Amino acid sequence: MKRIEALTVIDELFAGDLLVVTCGATARELASFSRRDSHLPLLDAMGLTSPVGLGVALGYPGSVGVIDGDGSLLMGFSILPTLAIYAPANLTVIVLDNEQHASADLVPSQAARIDLAAAARGLGIPVETCNDLAGLREAITSTRASGTFGMVFAKIEPGNSADIPLLLADPAVLGATFARAVGSRSAN
Amino acid sequence: MKKAGPRLNAIVDGLMDWGIENLVYVPSSHAAPVIRGLEARGVPSLMANREEEAVGIAGGLALAGRKVAILMQDNGFGNAMTALATFAVQYHIPIPIFANSRGGLGEYNAMIHSISEAAPKMLNSIGVRVERLTVSDRVDVWRANTSAAAKISVMQHRPIVTLFDALHPLIEPAE
Repeated sequence: MKRIEALTVIDELFAGDLLVVTCGATARELASFSRRDSHLPLLDAMGLTSPVGLGVALGYPGSVGVIDGDGSLLMGFSILPTLAIYAPANLTVIVLDNEQHASADLVPSQAARIDLAAAARGLGIPVETCNDLAGLREAITSTRASGTFGMVFAKIEPGNSADIPLLLADPAVLGATFARAVGSRSAN
Repeated sequence: MKKAGPRLNAIVDGLMDWGIENLVYVPSSHAAPVIRGLEARGVPSLMANREEEAVGIAGGLALAGRKVAILMQDNGFGNAMTALATFAVQYHIPIPIFANSRGGLGEYNAMIHSISEAAPKMLNSIGVRVERLTVSDRVDVWRANTSAAAKISVMQHRPIVTLFDALHPLIEPAE
């Protein structure tokens, strides 16, 4: 499963919901085929995706998704116990794990040698794992239907899609647009 | 367990005046009386393990429309700098941050001043405004300035840091 294929499934499943997206190639690949007001791409805040998603989910009554990466999660690994403890039922964190820092010259990440999903399970977080598109769709759907917070760890192919344009949006505009999307959904 | 004196209680009062809805904090013995004071007033609190994590969580809450503040200690701004610069500042996120300052005239630790003395300069260098509450300020000034800093953070769509000196020898003891 290529990352851009996984992103297509996630974008479809969260089309009517909020989505916080990790930085680098992940944000660029998603934006290359889908730009929604309900998307918050973090352009350079590596390690912050899951914390931001947790905050959004605690302040918003509807469904919130996070697209994190193995490298980004490892950079801010202290969020895992925080997620385990506060665990908002409306939050699903999806970790696209290519076992490398694909946006940092493809350097192997520590996920190549450790089991991130097992670490989350060890903290008591409900976890689904998958390694193909059908499995990803099923894992996300069942996690959201469970009525509890959960994480989906999806193994994806290494590397990045070719010819993806840079994402040169103004972060202030992205933030304000996303906040308006949250506000309009909260009011409905 | 430390109890709050009048000035630390004034921070609690000031944040309640503002209408705080959520608190995100990183543990600190000197900020703890403020944290407990807000929790006692019914403000939902969340403990983060690191300062950058707190910035992310509070930023998410702010984007969801919540009035949220961070309580922490100023020696943690080294951890928080990238999160503040690349997220809170760039995305125009209103987060009032209140941090007890270390390394001052009441300090008891031999090394902490190196980071605490640099913290305001570091914050200014990424465009974060820094206000101060000192032992020379009256209690009502602590309350009014706390509320004002939070209001300005929201009005100007940016994080603002307020440093408060909880260790000065003349800071009032708990009542």
